[in-house]
Order: sequence, then structure tokens, then C-alpha cells
Amino acid sequence: MSLEIAAGEFTAVMGPSGSGKSTLLNLIAGLDQPSSGTVVVADTDLRRLGESGLARFRRERIGFIFQFFHLLPSLTVLENVLIPAQLAGRPNASARAFELMAKLGISDVADRYPARLSGGQQQRAAIARALINQPALLLADEPTGALDSRSGELVMKLLQDLHHGGQTVMMVTHDAKLATRHAARVISLADGQVVDDARLDTADRGPAEVLRIRTEELA
Amino acid sequence: MSLKFGVLGLLAEEPLHGYELKARFEAMLGGSWEVNIGQVYATLQRLERDGLVRAVGTRGDRGKLAYELSDQGRSALDAWLAQPDSGPQQLREDFYVKLLLASRLANGDLRPLLGRQRRGYLQRMRDLNRLEERARREDRYDLARLVRGALLHGEADLKWIDELIEESTIEELKGNE
Repeated sequence: MSLEIAAGEFTAVMGPSGSGKSTLLNLIAGLDQPSSGTVVVADTDLRRLGESGLARFRRERIGFIFQFFHLLPSLTVLENVLIPAQLAGRPNASARAFELMAKLGISDVADRYPARLSGGQQQRAAIARALINQPALLLADEPTGALDSRSGELVMKLLQDLHHGGQTVMMVTHDAKLATRHAARVISLADGQVVDDARLDTADRGPAEVLRIRTEELA
Repeated sequence: MSLKFGVLGLLAEEPLHGYELKARFEAMLGGSWEVNIGQVYATLQRLERDGLVRAVGTRGDRGKLAYELSDQGRSALDAWLAQPDSGPQQLREDFYVKLLLASRLANGDLRPLLGRQRRGYLQRMRDLNRLEERARREDRYDLARLVRGALLHGEADLKWIDELIEESTIEELKGNE
């Protein structure tokens, strides 16, 4: 497999379960090590990093959001959002945390614990946490998979806004509708191989070029 | 949808003349179909002959004649609306025939054809997504509903192609053993 993702792209990775979608994200995030080959993210060759180097890389260059949020239940939203900044030795990240929470519409639940939040609020908290250190790359593994459609749409709109602001986003999904709605590039995997790497035409087409509503020709 | 029932349905709201019918019909379909005015007039004449519509008053200042629905037209419209669509599933795209022919012509390896068509379906879904967003932006929820149906068809097409690709890959592997 050989892939290159440009800065600022919104890429969707599709494929059936077991096709290697999540493994691909984990390799890029430095959570898994490739048995061979190289992963280079923002000019950093992950093979050359030791354990602590990898930990720093993950903390500072990668934002990761998961299907099931993975917030720490014993910490408030604000505390969860601040964890990566504290680990990175940035004690003064509160201003950015509040700014992010405001942007994501969760300022009013900053002092609540995750269990008291809706799924959509938890995912937005997870997005704020992923963005606190201004990562080069935002990885999203089925980010709307556990959400109702309304919360899912809101989360996707936020990811889209981030992308329009220049954020590089790579999203794993099995949902073709979601992938084609948000990503201009759709990478398809099967059995650990890239079977397609489609760059879609993003030009707006007129309704007549997209849809034809009729079942019989006119007499 | 045939123009005939489109015309009957629009006249059920209020009497209209030919150009108004054309404009309303096109607006209803969200610009996805441009109707020929000649076809509208021909349809109106046929409907009048069959007693389903009738002219209202006399020709206006620019020779425009408005039509209204007759009771018989109303019954025909209601019967049509109540009739669920059944009959044969329509597979109207060239791809279905290409697939049949390629099975005979391409030494059995369908994957290049399937891969190209998969791209086509992805692009179509992207375009449909855009159209749905646009319909919502313009408060055309009736149209957005149809586009959502089309998107689900797109998803099914993609799933079908993926199945065929998997099947072809397995066959290719067997052939190489």
C-alpha cells in the first residue's frame, strides 16, 4: 500500500470490516507499528522515533476521535479537553480550551462529567480534546457511528468547518453517503489493500445533470 | 411520472394555462427536467378530448386558454395516486448491458469494468449529496426527500459493485491456482 495525503485534504477511508481501515489510522497515528515500510507524517518518519518520541508525536501532531468518544469518566469535560495540553507541558491552554468549547457549542457543559452528556456532546468534547494541541492531522474513526442522525450531522458539520479552516482530516467510515458528502477523496480498502483512490469532481452540477425524475418517455 | 398525471395534478390545485403548467411542472421537479411546451399543449388537447380537463372561459388577451380539471379528471387522478407502482423493476442504465456483454467479451475479468463503474457511482453520490443540500437550502424538502431515495439507491449500487468485485477477485484467484 502506498498513499500520500496532502495538507488540507479531507479524505474518507472506506471498506468492509476487517479491511484494514482502523489499522491504517492506527499506523498513521503511531499507535501501531508497521511490520515493514514507512509512515511519514508532517515530515516525521515514525520509524525513527522511540517510544517517548512516538508518544510526543501522537500528543502534538495527531488528533484522534473515536466512535465511542473515549473520554475519561472521572474528569469533567474541561479536564478531558485539557489532558493533551497538560501532557505536552502547556499549562496555559485553558483559553484555547474555552475557545474550542465555545466553537463546538459545549461551553455550558464544561464542568459536567461525560456520563451526564448526550452522545453528541461527548463527541464534541472529544473533538475539542483532539484539537487542543493544534494537530497537523485529525483522524476520525467512525465519528458518527454511535450518534443519532441529528447529532451525527452536527459533528460532521463541525469537521467540515474545521476542514474549511485548513485542517487536514482523515475519516474512516463504512458509510458511502457520509464519505461522498464530506470528502473529495475516497480511498477504498479491501483485505489490507488500497483497491481504489478516487478524487471526486467537486464542481456543482445542475439538477438535470444529477437527477431525472420520470418513469416513462413522453408520448 | 408521465406528463399526463403531472398536468392533472397541477390542475387539481387551480386552473392554469399551458405556460403556467410548464413553469409549475418544471419548478416542482426542481429543474431536473425541462418540459417542451408543445408536449404540454398536446397533452392538454388529449386530456380535453378524453373529457379529463376542460377550457375555462374564452381565450385571454394573448390567446391564452386556461384549463380546469373535470370530475372525470379528478377520478382519474385519484385512481392513479392510489395505484402503487409495481410491474417490472427498471434497469435502464447501459451498465447492465455492458456487464452482460463484458461477461462474454473480457476474458472473464470484469474488474476493470466494475472498478470504473464504482467510481461513477461514487461521483453520482457526491453530486446527489450536493443536490440534497441545495434542495434543503432552498426549502425544497419534497425534492430533498426524493434525492435521499436516490442516494440510498446509490449506496445499494455501490454495495452490489463491491460484491461483484469480490466475486471476480475470488474467481481470478481460483483461475491462477
